Amino acid sequence: MLVRENATEEQIALVTPKFGLDRPVVVQYRDWLLRALGGDLGQSLHSREPVLKLIAERLPATLQLAVAATAIGIALGIPVAVASALAQGTWLDRLLSGWSALALGVPTFWVGILLILLFAVELGLLPAASAYVPFWEDTWQALRHTILPALTLGLYVSGISARFLRGSLVSELASDYVRTARSKGLTERVIVQRHVLRNAMLPFITVVGIALAGCIGGAVVTESVFTYPGLGRLVVQAIGTRDYPLVQGSILVILIIYVLINLVVDLLYVYIDPRIEYG
Amino acid sequence: MSEALRSGLRLVRRALSRPAPAVSVAYLMYLMVLASAALLARPLELDPLEEDVARMLEGPSWEHPFGTDELGRDILARAIFGARTSLTTAAGAVLLAAAIGVPMGLVAGFFGGLRDAVLMRLVDLLLALPGIMLALALIAVLGRSQAAALVAVGLTGVPTFARVARAQVLSLRRREVVLAVKAFGASPGYTLVRTVLPNAWSPILAQMIVLSSVAILLEAALAFLGVGIPPPTPSWGEMLRTGKEYLYDSLTYAVLPGLVLTLTILAFDTIGRALSAVLEGRDAPAGRPAGAALWSASSSAACCSCSPSSSAPRR
Repeated sequence: MLVRENATEEQIALVTPKFGLDRPVVVQYRDWLLRALGGDLGQSLHSREPVLKLIAERLPATLQLAVAATAIGIALGIPVAVASALAQGTWLDRLLSGWSALALGVPTFWVGILLILLFAVELGLLPAASAYVPFWEDTWQALRHTILPALTLGLYVSGISARFLRGSLVSELASDYVRTARSKGLTERVIVQRHVLRNAMLPFITVVGIALAGCIGGAVVTESVFTYPGLGRLVVQAIGTRDYPLVQGSILVILIIYVLINLVVDLLYVYIDPRIEYG
Repeated sequence: MSEALRSGLRLVRRALSRPAPAVSVAYLMYLMVLASAALLARPLELDPLEEDVARMLEGPSWEHPFGTDELGRDILARAIFGARTSLTTAAGAVLLAAAIGVPMGLVAGFFGGLRDAVLMRLVDLLLALPGIMLALALIAVLGRSQAAALVAVGLTGVPTFARVARAQVLSLRRREVVLAVKAFGASPGYTLVRTVLPNAWSPILAQMIVLSSVAILLEAALAFLGVGIPPPTPSWGEMLRTGKEYLYDSLTYAVLPGLVLTLTILAFDTIGRALSAVLEGRDAPAGRPAGAALWSASSSAACCSCSPSSSAPRR
């Protein structure tokens, strides 16, 4: 709000042209877009600070969380995928696949709440609200504050990684060269370690990239649960205060980052696998 | 009933005969019965709006199996009514997504060329933001209401349907039945609606069910963030949001509605994936010919929610 709730007609009439609010929405949007292309994202209606500055303040926090969550997700997902693929069709495979389904289906905010209940409320070990502590400043505190949100988000990432990698491994294990290697007399272990895993990792790299991109833009809920000062939470707060320049600016930044990472991943995929080409 | 529909139904039945999907179906039907019974009457004095501040934030007890919230309202009653909100919003969102996405995909796949390019770029537009962000952006524009939540969640689901439908059309385009109908002079509209669609509906149905779980999750997430359906309508996400405030006072407030939410999401997901697995012949024990996998290649390419990029690389 730019003026108080019970502002008079005159006050509203004064403020409106000052911020250009009396012009048609399309015109306002065009002006904003043109300025944004030049790097000017405007001012927050709420705090009068430049939108770019507010976003830049929150970006490192989001990045730290995204990287941590992706790392945890992959660390959990790879062993699950490998075990699942090697034990295809057995009870272990079904159990692990069920686990992946669980990891993907459980709402992140519920997981976050459960973790807070356990570690903060009951055990009092970790903070219930996470602040942003850069890793290079105070590693121990950074760890304490980042571990729960990273675990929450990482669980989801592990579900995606496990599922994708398992599919990739299963199809690799069924290929001709594996059959040849087996008939040559190589042990299963060597085949998997030296050939299958490497080939399956190629497309997996893209999943890592996508997961990272998703964590940056999609961590909104996790950030809210832990009141972590990230970009996602900035968007929610801005929507709450109807701070449209801030909403537009931050969504634009998130969009650019997301699209850029996806683009890099696509290009990387073409680079590392010479068999692929885009038509 | 046409042969295509009948064979589709056979697959559905096979999908539901496994234990996990069967349990899920039972759970969901139980939930729906509860939710609609709540609509018709107020059984067992389970009133979600009745406040009793003297007994606020209590744990589970005989009168209040899930405990009470900060206004003394019965949490179990609110959870059941919340089911109604979640299920109706999700159903509406999925239907909206299908209503927009399937025609897009059908047209894009059938005609190809410019129409394909334009429509798929529109789909890419929707994929430019992560789902929750897109939904938030839409809510920022549309305001806070049940309709807004429905539209926001629905639009997030459009790309999936567009892709599945398009993949189906692409694979069915060359089948004899389509070529024959065209040889008889059928218009594209007739071909699409009367010939392609009856053969393509099973993967679309599977996607509808899987997407329902996503829709419920998304709607609850929006409610949790405070931009969902306005109070006093009970909503699972809303209950988790308030429950979190009182985490130190009442351990069960946030946990139990969350459990119901999770089970519902998982139930839809299990059924949907079982259906997909049957359609792609993945449920067959090793050795059975992949004859049942009528739509395997195309639907698995399109159905995968973790496909790395929108422009599918060609090997």
